[in-house]
Amino acid sequence: MSNTTIGRRGALQLAAGAGAAAMAGGPAAAADVTLAVWTGYPELEPWYKAIGEAYTKAKGTKVTVFSTSLREHEQKLAAAVPTGTGPDVFDVGQILGITFIEAGLVKPNPASVDGLLKSGAYRKSSVEQFTTEGKTYGLPMLFSTPAMFWNKTMFKEAGLAGPPNTFQEKMAFAKKLTKFDASGKMIRSGMSLRLSGQGSGIAEKFRFILEPAGGTLIVPNGKGKFHQGYDNDAGRNALKYYVDAVQVEKVDDPKVQHDSAAFVAANTAMLMREAWVIGEIKKQNPTLDYGVAPMPAWGSGPHKTLLQHNGLWVNAKSKNIDAAYDFMVFLSSKEASVALTQMSGWVAARSDVDWSPLLKEIPQYKEFVAPAEGMQFYPEPVMAAWNEIETRLADRLPGAYADPAMQDPAKLAAFIKTAAAQTDQILKQNDLYGT
Amino acid sequence: MLFCYVALLPIVALFLYVRIIPIGFSFLLSFYKWNLISPRRPFVGFDNYLGLLDDENFILALKNTTIYSFSTVLLSTAIALPLAVFLSRKSRLSAFYQTVYFLPVITPMVPVSIAWKWIYDYNYGILNYGFSLVGLPSVPWLTDPDIALWALVVMGVWKVLGYNMVLFLVGIRNIPLEYMEAASLDGASDWQRFWRITLPLLRPILLYVLVTSTIAAYNVFTQVYVMTLGSQSAPGQAVRMLVFDIYTNGFQFFRMGYASAEAVILTLIVLGLTVVQFSLVREDKVKEG
Repeated sequence: MSNTTIGRRGALQLAAGAGAAAMAGGPAAAADVTLAVWTGYPELEPWYKAIGEAYTKAKGTKVTVFSTSLREHEQKLAAAVPTGTGPDVFDVGQILGITFIEAGLVKPNPASVDGLLKSGAYRKSSVEQFTTEGKTYGLPMLFSTPAMFWNKTMFKEAGLAGPPNTFQEKMAFAKKLTKFDASGKMIRSGMSLRLSGQGSGIAEKFRFILEPAGGTLIVPNGKGKFHQGYDNDAGRNALKYYVDAVQVEKVDDPKVQHDSAAFVAANTAMLMREAWVIGEIKKQNPTLDYGVAPMPAWGSGPHKTLLQHNGLWVNAKSKNIDAAYDFMVFLSSKEASVALTQMSGWVAARSDVDWSPLLKEIPQYKEFVAPAEGMQFYPEPVMAAWNEIETRLADRLPGAYADPAMQDPAKLAAFIKTAAAQTDQILKQNDLYGT
Repeated sequence: MLFCYVALLPIVALFLYVRIIPIGFSFLLSFYKWNLISPRRPFVGFDNYLGLLDDENFILALKNTTIYSFSTVLLSTAIALPLAVFLSRKSRLSAFYQTVYFLPVITPMVPVSIAWKWIYDYNYGILNYGFSLVGLPSVPWLTDPDIALWALVVMGVWKVLGYNMVLFLVGIRNIPLEYMEAASLDGASDWQRFWRITLPLLRPILLYVLVTSTIAAYNVFTQVYVMTLGSQSAPGQAVRMLVFDIYTNGFQFFRMGYASAEAVILTLIVLGLTVVQFSLVREDKVKEG
């Protein structure tokens, strides 16, 4: 990977240190064992291979890595793991992870892995997310939180001193930053929201505003059940924010370029996204002058950001289960964690890592590896139905964002009510509904 | 004779294994609730089918797929038939045009869909560039919910046009020349020869084209998947189709029983339409008799 700040050799050297440490206490793996690793993040493949080579050097166990796109990866795992044809180690988000746990296809962690997870090496929220009914399963690999990217050059041009602190400020700033051509066609959006396409990502981005505004998609009742939490002022305000951005203030438009591509190409001034965008900028537009700020607050409310974990899991049907757990621990060493972030742009989940060399080189990582004081995290609920809840809401949102009828508060409220009722319906279908 | 049956056995066995058994299993699965991963698979009777009745997404997908299918089949047939008549005339350029029209058929759907996504791009697409040259405003082909489905129809027609045209061409070339010559001697015009001779004799080909095009159109998936992927794409609901909905339920939400029920309904719809199309031709045969 020419774009990474650390080469394959560097990763090997780093991981060799981890190997030495792991050898001291870990179980010995057979030299003739080959571990199969599957990942849904093709950009992590070089990292897996580098750490795998270091592991082979340290323990003799060979490692093969197979990567596909995330959706295909999830489908392959769902078909292969139950039938005993899956990998020894795989990465997947918590939502699918819990399905494997419930089906007995991922077993509780052995004492050594459990000890590592609870050793203080991970944040409390990470440990909680990987604990089900008092037992720990798997290890957190990625600690993914969005933050706000802002284009310093555009801000300077517009006479803005720094990034907005609240969503209200953000709208006002965006208005100054949006550009139109002579025919009135938007050529640069003030902020890039997720306005079109399909899939849960649309609802996930809706939550970026919903949660700081005081709402949430589902609320636990404390007895293991849930109900919708956005048929309220927060839900209506969040939708209104989107509708205003597109239809009233005209700071974004479904027709213009969006997402990281727009920010990298300097076609938008602000974007709420995860750390991997830094890697994209470095690769495609290294001269872009940008900063990364905390997610804005809603008025005088707290700053909140989404917390998503991606975990490492050992297949309960693995024929090399001890070696698989050993390799999972090896992948989770401090050195491997630094290499992961440096090679892929994703932030590793371990919190006891010294990020200062990385921050010295790329200060924009600060908001991701050491979030601002007072930042509140809202994690993804660990339940199999979550994907359906988000996706079903996501099906509805793009139509609403562009619908002029949504400027009528009564119609907007009716839309939220219908969407929220569907959320409750999905919870009921999955026997998860409770008030 | 016995040898023929024995020789066919391996193929029949393979067909059973890769086609009939999975179809039967899907039908069976439609009465269960199963997430693909869990060993638990409770029997739920007709619950999955009943759930479809008030599933907004399923109803929307059914509506969109029907609009897409009827539009694609009618347009591609209506354009392919006169094209085939035109290209059946002896001309030096006929073979060249046949090749040009057939090229989309042999091009894989994924690259084609990606190419069309670029063609339709609001900012950088060649279609809007062409519009700008003649002073027309840019059109949000994919991001406007009212236009996106029709953008897919245009692409669908483009993809299947060459296939239908070649079939019609083969049919036209199989019509004995004597019929045309006799009609000409009797003073029949071009239109009369087409209407009285070519079209009636092409009826079996027309039926084949209608049946295969309808089946293919109802199974539309790849272009929908590609065109809705990413932030700069069609809104999912605007182009939600049945197979896409089946895929979402089956492989994103892991509701395999529910997705199987949808697949059974899709099979029944396509089967029903095929029977209707066949019966129309049979009726014609009776009239002829």
